[in-house]
Amino acid sequence: MPEQIAEPPALSPTGGQGRRSHAALLRYIGKRLVIACILLVGMTIVTFSLTNLVPGDPVAAALGQRAADDPAIVARFRAEYGLDKPLLEQYWAYLVRLSHFDLGTSWQTHNAVAADLAKAVPATMEIALSAIVCAALVGLTFGMWSAYRRGKVTDQVLRLVSLVGISVPTFWMAIVCFYIFYYRLGIAPGSGRLTPGLSPPPHVTGMYTFDALLAGDLRTFVDAAAHLALPTMVLTLYTIGLLTRFSRTSFLEVLDQGYIQAAKAKGLPGRKVFFKYVLRAAAIPILTVVGLAFGSLLSGTVLVESIFGWPGLGSYAYNAASKLDLLAVMGVGLFVGLVYLMINLAVDLAYGFIDPRVRVG
Amino acid sequence: MKLHKKFAAATAAVVAAALLFTGCGSPAPSSDSGGSGTDAAQVVIDSMFDVKTIDPGREYEPAGQILVKALYDTLVTFADEDTTTIIPDLASFEQNDELTEFTFTLADGRVFSDGNPVTADDVVFSLQRLQGMKGNPSFLLDGVTISKVDDKTVKLTTADPAPALLATLATPSLGIVNSKVVQENGGTTGEDDGAEQFLNTTSAGSGPYVLESLDIASGATLVKNTKYNGPQSPTYDKVIVRKVEPATQKMNVERGDSQIAMDLSGDMVESLAEGVSLESVPSATVVFLLANTDPSVNATTAKPEFVKAVKAAINYEALLEIAGKGAAQATGLVPSVFLGALPASDALKYDPEAAKAAVAAAGAEGAKITLNFPNDIDPTGLNLTTLAERVQSQLAEVGITVDLAPAPFATEVDAYREGKEELGLWYWNPDYMDPANYLAFGPGQTVGLRANWQESANTKIADLVKKGYTTGDPAARKALFEEWGKAMIEESPFIPLLQPGSNVAYQPSVTNVLYNPVWLINVAGLGAA
Repeated sequence: MPEQIAEPPALSPTGGQGRRSHAALLRYIGKRLVIACILLVGMTIVTFSLTNLVPGDPVAAALGQRAADDPAIVARFRAEYGLDKPLLEQYWAYLVRLSHFDLGTSWQTHNAVAADLAKAVPATMEIALSAIVCAALVGLTFGMWSAYRRGKVTDQVLRLVSLVGISVPTFWMAIVCFYIFYYRLGIAPGSGRLTPGLSPPPHVTGMYTFDALLAGDLRTFVDAAAHLALPTMVLTLYTIGLLTRFSRTSFLEVLDQGYIQAAKAKGLPGRKVFFKYVLRAAAIPILTVVGLAFGSLLSGTVLVESIFGWPGLGSYAYNAASKLDLLAVMGVGLFVGLVYLMINLAVDLAYGFIDPRVRVG
Repeated sequence: MKLHKKFAAATAAVVAAALLFTGCGSPAPSSDSGGSGTDAAQVVIDSMFDVKTIDPGREYEPAGQILVKALYDTLVTFADEDTTTIIPDLASFEQNDELTEFTFTLADGRVFSDGNPVTADDVVFSLQRLQGMKGNPSFLLDGVTISKVDDKTVKLTTADPAPALLATLATPSLGIVNSKVVQENGGTTGEDDGAEQFLNTTSAGSGPYVLESLDIASGATLVKNTKYNGPQSPTYDKVIVRKVEPATQKMNVERGDSQIAMDLSGDMVESLAEGVSLESVPSATVVFLLANTDPSVNATTAKPEFVKAVKAAINYEALLEIAGKGAAQATGLVPSVFLGALPASDALKYDPEAAKAAVAAAGAEGAKITLNFPNDIDPTGLNLTTLAERVQSQLAEVGITVDLAPAPFATEVDAYREGKEELGLWYWNPDYMDPANYLAFGPGQTVGLRANWQESANTKIADLVKKGYTTGDPAARKALFEEWGKAMIEESPFIPLLQPGSNVAYQPSVTNVLYNPVWLINVAGLGAA
C-alpha cells in the first residue's frame, strides 16, 4: 500500500519546498526558544517575589523555640542564608547562583536544593511516566471509540466512566485503593518505593524500575514495579477520564468536518480516512492536553505521594512550603515552571511538524 | 462495522496491557514483611520522620532524637522504664554540694564504631561544638564551661547552681562524637563547622547502632555497631525508620508491614485491629491557652477576672473526649511524668456558675476575643482545630464570644512569640527530662513573655522560678515545684488544658516498647518475642 508509506510533502527533506520549509521551521524553533528564555527570567521574578511576600518569618519556622529566642543564633541563621540583605540584593545573589545551576541550600534538609530535587524528581518522574503512558493509551483509545460510537451504548458507558474518572478526587481514590488492594486484599505492597530492607538499585536514572533493569536485578525490579503499580493506577484513572473526554470531543469535531465527509463519500477506506486525516487533524489539541496532563503529573501530586509514602516532588514541595523553606520552594517553583515551559515548547515544536500552517504563520 | 470490531479488539488489548502495567492483573505480595514470629533480623518503625539532620550538635526534631539516641552515647542517661533516675552511660559522675561543679569519669574500654577509645578530648570537643555551632540545641549548654581534667576526666562548671544539668546531658543532642573523625571531615567547635553533611552520611559515635543510610525524604536504616561495648544489648540487626503518614502507618502496622507505628492519634488507636499491641500514656506535651496580659493587646483578656472565668468555663473532661486514648487533663503546666507535677486534686475544675460570675466581674459579656492557633500541626495526633472549636463553644456557654483565627504554624508562630495574640492555643514539649523546662511559663520567662507577663507583674512567682532553676535538693525541689505549680494555676495567665496521649502501636513480635518523652523510643532496648 504505497499511499501509507508516502511522506507528507511538508516534511519532505528534499526539494526547494523542503528547504524553505526547513528555514521556516528553524525560525519557528528559534522564536520559541527565545520566548522560553524570557519566560524563564519571568519565572524567577515571580517565584522570588511570591515566596518573599508570604507572611511569617522563615527563622521562626526553621529554628527551634529556644534557638529563635537567642539573637546570636538568629543572626547567624540570617547571615548564613543571606536573609540579612535587602531583597533586591538577595534576588541578584539568587540569579548569580542560578547562573551556576546553584539553587541554594534548603534549611529543612540542609542539602543543596538541586541535590534534593535530583532525588525527588526521578521518584515523581517514575509515576508520571508510567501514568501518562497508560492513560494516553487507554484514554485516547476510549476517546476514539466513544467518538466513533457517538450516541450508542458504548459511547454512553465510556462517557460515564470518564466522568467518574475526573470527578472522583484523586486523594480519595488513593486512600480507597490503598485500603482495598493493600490492606484488605493484600495483593499490593505497602507504602514506599521498595520493601523495607531492600536496597535501592545503583543510581543511574533514579527511577528504581529502570535502574534495577539496567543492573539486571530482577528481584528489585519486580519489587519496585509492584510498589509503583498502585500509585500509577490511581493517577491513571483521573488522567484517563480527562483524555477520554477531550479526545472524544476532538475526534468528533474532525469527524464533522466537510472534508472527512467528502473522503468517506468518495469511498476511501475507513482506516485510511482515520489515520491519514482524522488522527492528524485531531492530534494537535490532544497533544496539548497530553502535554499538560504530563506536566501536572510531574509537578507533583502531593496527597497521592503522601498516602503512598512516595518521596517525590509533591511531598518535597509540601514540606518546604509548610516550613517556609524559601529556597526549596523557589527551586520547586522554578522546576515546575521549567517542566511546563519544556512541555509547551515540545508541544509547540510538534505543532510545527504536524501542522504546516503553524510554522509558516 | 468491521472497523468497530477491530477497534474493540485493539482497545481490549490496550486496556489489558495497561492494567498489566499498572499491576491490576498481577497481585504483588509484599515480601519480607516480617510480620510475625521472632524475626530479630530487622524492625521497621513508621514515623512522621520530621528529621532535618542527624548531626547530634544540630539535631532537634523528635524523629531525629530516635536516630541520634541509637547512634551516639551520652555521658549519662535514663533507664527505659524509669524516666526519673539518672544513670551513668559513658561516664560516672560526681557533683559538688552547690551544684556548680560536675565531674565525669569515663568508663573503661568504651570505643567508637571505628574501634578507637572514647576520651576526654572527644567529650570536650562534642560539647563545645554543640555550644559553638549556635544551632537549635545550643541553648542546652548555655552558661556551662567544659574542661578536660585528664584523659579520663571532664569537668563541667556553671556560675549558678544547675540542678537540671545532669538530666540535660542525657538528651541525645549531647551525644559524644568521635572528634578525630569529625575534625577530619570539617568539624570545628565554632560556627564554621562543616561536618554536618558528613555526619548525615556516616555516623561517628559509640552508640549501639551505626548509620547505614539516611534519606531525609524517606527514612533511615541503622545496623548494629559490631564494636559496641556499652551496657545495652540491642536485639535487632537492622532498624529501619520510614517516613509514613499516620493513616498509612496504621494500616502498615496492622498488616505487619511495619512493626511499630509512632504517630497514631487517640482516635486511630480506638479502632486498632486485634493482634496489635499498644503503649498508650499521656505524653509530656502540655496543651494550654494563654490570655494576653497586655491591655493594649486586649483590655478584657488582661483582666485577672477574665482569666479566672476561662479557667472555670472549660469542661476539661469533655475536652478529653476529642483527645482520645492516652490523653489526660493537665493538672498543671508540669506534665505528670516529671517531679513536681501536681496531683489531680489540684487541677483546675469546671464550674460554670463561678465562670459566669467571673465574666460579669470582668465585664466580659459581649466582648469579642480572637483565639489564635496553628492549624497545620497536630501535637501527638491531637487536632488543634477541633480542640479550638470545643473551647469556643464552652466559652460561649458562659457568655464569652470567641472568634477562631487559625493559621499555619510558620505564619502564626511569629505573633505568638511576639506576644500579639489575645487568646492563644499552643503546646509545649520538654527539651530535656527535667521540670525546669516548664519554668519558661513564669513571669518574664520565654513563654510568660508571650502573654506579655512581665517579671514585675508577679514577683512572688518570679522568685519561685529563680529558686526552681537553682534548688538542688530533691525534696526541696519537689516542694518548690509544687508551690510554683499551684501559684501558676491560681495566678498565671495560662490555662493548662490537657496532655495528649502518646500512642505507640506495635506488633506483638516486638517487646519492651516504651515511650520516652525526649527520645520517643530507644531502639536498642527493643526486644523480640
